[in-house]
Amino acid sequence: MKTIKIVALLAVVLTATHALAAEQLQIDGSTTVGPIGDAFAEAFKDKASITVSKTGSGDGAAALLEGRCDIAMMSRFMKDAEFKAAVEKGIMPVAHAIAMDGVCTVVHPSNPVSALTSEQIRDIYMCKITNWKEVGGADMPIVVISRDTSSGTYETFEGLVMNKEKMGDCVEYVNSNPQMHARVKSTIGAIGYVGLGFLDRNVKALKVNDVIPTRSTIAKGIYPVSRPLFLFTNGYPKLGSMIFQFCTFHLTEEGQEIIEDKGFVAVTAY
Amino acid sequence: MSKNTSKPSSNPAAAQFSRPLRLSVSQDLRGLLAKNIGHGILFSITFVSVLAVMAIFYFVVQESVPFIFKGGFRDSLSRVTEFLTSTAWYPQKEENPEYGALAIIVGSLYVTFCSLIIAVPIGVLAAVFLSDIAPFSVRQYCKPIIEILAAIPSVAYGVFAVMVVAPWMQKTLGFSTGTNAINASLILSVMALPTIISVAEDALSAIGREIREASYGLGATRAETMIKVVIPAAHSGIIAAVILGMMRAIGETMVVWMASGNSSRIPSPWWDLSQSVRTMTATIAGELGEVPKDTDHYYVLFAIGLLLLIFTFGLNMTSEFFMTRFKKKSRGL
Amino acid sequence: MQVRIRQAWNHLFTILSSGSIVLLVAALLLFLIPMLRKGIPAVVFRGTVEFRKMQAELFDRGDTMALQKETEQTWQARQEIYTILDHFSRGIDTEKLTDEAKDLYRDYGQILRYQETPKEQYTELRGRAKEIRDHLLDAFESTDKDEIAAHLDAIEALRDEAAFSGTPVEKMFTMTGDFRKLIATVDLSKRDIFADELEVVKEELYNLFGPRPDEQTPQLAMKRFGATRWDVAEKHLTFLVWQEKWIPSDDGQTLVAKQVRRDDPLEGSFAGTELAPLFSLTEKILKDTMKPRFTLYWQYFIDDSTPGHYFGGVGPEVLGTLLLTLLAMCFSIPLGVISAAYLVEYAGDNLIVKIIRICINTLAGVPSIVYGLFGMAFFVAYITKQPGVLSASMTLALLVLPVIIRASEEAIRAVPQTYREAAMGLGAGKFRSFLTVTLPAAGPGILTGIILSLSRAAGETAPILFAGAAALAPIPDFGGKWWLQETRALSYGCYDITVGDKLAMMVPHKQFGMVMTLIILVLCLNVIAIVIRSRMSKKLRGM
Repeated sequence: MKTIKIVALLAVVLTATHALAAEQLQIDGSTTVGPIGDAFAEAFKDKASITVSKTGSGDGAAALLEGRCDIAMMSRFMKDAEFKAAVEKGIMPVAHAIAMDGVCTVVHPSNPVSALTSEQIRDIYMCKITNWKEVGGADMPIVVISRDTSSGTYETFEGLVMNKEKMGDCVEYVNSNPQMHARVKSTIGAIGYVGLGFLDRNVKALKVNDVIPTRSTIAKGIYPVSRPLFLFTNGYPKLGSMIFQFCTFHLTEEGQEIIEDKGFVAVTAY
Repeated sequence: MSKNTSKPSSNPAAAQFSRPLRLSVSQDLRGLLAKNIGHGILFSITFVSVLAVMAIFYFVVQESVPFIFKGGFRDSLSRVTEFLTSTAWYPQKEENPEYGALAIIVGSLYVTFCSLIIAVPIGVLAAVFLSDIAPFSVRQYCKPIIEILAAIPSVAYGVFAVMVVAPWMQKTLGFSTGTNAINASLILSVMALPTIISVAEDALSAIGREIREASYGLGATRAETMIKVVIPAAHSGIIAAVILGMMRAIGETMVVWMASGNSSRIPSPWWDLSQSVRTMTATIAGELGEVPKDTDHYYVLFAIGLLLLIFTFGLNMTSEFFMTRFKKKSRGL
Repeated sequence: MQVRIRQAWNHLFTILSSGSIVLLVAALLLFLIPMLRKGIPAVVFRGTVEFRKMQAELFDRGDTMALQKETEQTWQARQEIYTILDHFSRGIDTEKLTDEAKDLYRDYGQILRYQETPKEQYTELRGRAKEIRDHLLDAFESTDKDEIAAHLDAIEALRDEAAFSGTPVEKMFTMTGDFRKLIATVDLSKRDIFADELEVVKEELYNLFGPRPDEQTPQLAMKRFGATRWDVAEKHLTFLVWQEKWIPSDDGQTLVAKQVRRDDPLEGSFAGTELAPLFSLTEKILKDTMKPRFTLYWQYFIDDSTPGHYFGGVGPEVLGTLLLTLLAMCFSIPLGVISAAYLVEYAGDNLIVKIIRICINTLAGVPSIVYGLFGMAFFVAYITKQPGVLSASMTLALLVLPVIIRASEEAIRAVPQTYREAAMGLGAGKFRSFLTVTLPAAGPGILTGIILSLSRAAGETAPILFAGAAALAPIPDFGGKWWLQETRALSYGCYDITVGDKLAMMVPHKQFGMVMTLIILVLCLNVIAIVIRSRMSKKLRGM
């Protein structure tokens, strides 16, 4: 009799704790959108227990397809192959554009060059121009730095500036925005590209085709190298559910404040 | 034959000793079964490591086969040739992705050889010091230091390389970039040194005193004894040590990922160590997260992993060969 | 002569050999000292009142009464600075005035609709209000005093007491009057430059002091407090007072940085304005406004962190690492010790045993990233179906298995044969003698091997990269299926914080702090192992 009582009590306690366990949310994906995901997760931490895993846009899409995550953060739209694979598996990916990001070309602040055309940038990255004096700067070799080929930032840069041309083999690769910022900050002859949120007094943003990247030029689409950041879900989330609240948080004032604090442009900025 | 003459019924404890010492199968079936089954269980538990190795090979091969054997025989051959000989690594291109891994493979070998060039002389000299020159107390202190060097996590070395060594290289040495081949090689040599030192020291110690005493007896100085007699006698063991160090360096991921610059090209004057290179391990670690499953890119990364596995397996076998040769020799002497 | 040369070579050789050991020790010190030195400030530093506020709010720590008193004192000291700032910015901060005017216009439209005014009247009133608003906005934007005066006069012409009394438009007229008085005192030609620099000044003051009490509390935790450390506060003070200008160098080739004080009479942006005294004042009273005090933040090792590790500690990472390694030990210790026992005690010297030994050596040589690949391809794909604690710890178990087998084998072999013979002589069978005599005697050696593999597993990153580590994950609460969840880990966290987030650049002491925690953990484990081994060797030698 005693054993049965103990077992019953244990069962009740276990089910109670399981029921009380907060709702779980799994978010995978891009390292660029990662900081926004982290900050949103912090805002929701009393209502749900959220896991944010930053392994890359491609992995986020794969996780969504396999049902391993509830929301996929991606800094690019889904590729055709991914979309097709998703539909075949019965997943309908729905995109929520939560912020805009601009990819700004940066150089060391001591570099006298302050504006380049996109053709010049393309030639630099294809290793046809190798010295700063060819574009009006000092006589110094150009240290060309790029993001690794599987990053969404790289793809935006490749699509909008390189026009899908291959980069030359003098290009160094780094794995993330902060690394890029650190390299350009400490290397006098460097040129690289970072997201808008990484512009500060340690790097200088170049004008591209005479447009300076700022919040308003990106929001209005005047700055050519800008892109939206997405959250992908399987179908439109049920109204009022935790996923729904997460995906519409960018429409609230707090969400926009977070997005701006993280250095991105809120979609409704203008 | 003297036997125990006390009667069995009078002393229960003595009853055990009246049993025959060797039981036949029918008399002790339980014992026999227990022994063999126990033996079998232990064997199968030990066999798990063999299963593990086979599983590793199997799964890595399984995921890289779709890349190697796509299309007909000629297609596969051209793909493998491109993989091994072309330096164009553009796996994410939309139309015609290119999977030329030569620059990456050369990068791995380049960084490994540079680190060995730094580590082998220092390691062998340190092993000589520890086995022959140092007094006992100094040796007792040095061993823990070497173990601590070996125990520091690779991530910590990587952070050190990126945040301390790279800025120093740029500021003081004036390199155009601080994350380059020499940075990675330096840190890798520090990581490979403990392995080289301990195995080489074991090898040198295993050579008996007789050889050394014979050499001293003929009037040689300590340097001549070591260089001309002991090290050649232990040469198999030292080669094994070098190969183990090489295995450590080639398989290292975090340090090269953070410190080598990841630029997929062969350094253009080949002796220019201040240029960035990319290694196989860094390619896998950097790209696997971004890649959708079951695509060509995914398979080719496993193919690189297979290449790594083959390299290290080959190096392992070579070092085993040298170690057994060394053991035979030292026992024979 | 020959002898001398040979002796010289001998000495050179000795020097080189000892030199290489010295080089090794130097390398170790060169590595440890900077890392520990840069990591210690994460735990031991001078914390300001902002730090204590943050601890009270986020972690419920500290004496509330004393903190309140401190907050009031610092607020009083900061008042002076804020007064100067507000006084100056009123004339410059046209954005605020513009927003205010726009809001007033919108409110007026809302009131009109609420009152359900008829259509023509609505259009007419609203049109006039729009004209007033446009004049105001133009006045705010322009820098020509005459133009401004013209706009303000035009607004006066539209003033109509009857129609607009009691509505927001009246406030627009008050703004007009105020603005007219304001422009009389401010040099408008420099307003653009002032505006940009003023933004920087405001931002740095925000970084120093945090939001003002009357401002809305920001959403992000990192924005709710000012500078929590005294060294960060001093850095922000430098950014506040000194401005960095890039001017062409002598040869015209590059730009060089020149630091100029903002209130410098010759070149400073705010020279001679009302804002100039703010800079020297802030320098003087910074200590009073921040109240720095020596802080020992030992809770760093157990606190949770805010996203991005801006505040807080590495508690979840430590917990995650311990969880992963202990679980890995649960898998690998039985496997490893039993395998070692079999290999020493029972195995013959046939082909199968040779194959087993070759495989163990191969396992020891497999690169860690290939373990990561295997973990992803097998453990995650087939066993747990998703990355989590279980798959990561199984991968780690496989990684350390060869280490345990080797160390246990050595330890068991090192037990003198006399022990075994004595046990057998007393009548124990092979298995019993192993269990009761050999194993305890080899205990310290096996324990050393276990501790060394613990430290190896704690430090590995590559195997768990894809099998279960996440940058931000809830602390495992052992409620639901905790073994299927991802977890944070020290090794992965070190990597992520160094190359991952923008915030990490702003808190370098946190980066080094996490690395320092990992190094300390690994070093402690190794020191314990070394001590056990030296005790054991003494015992065996004494025996």
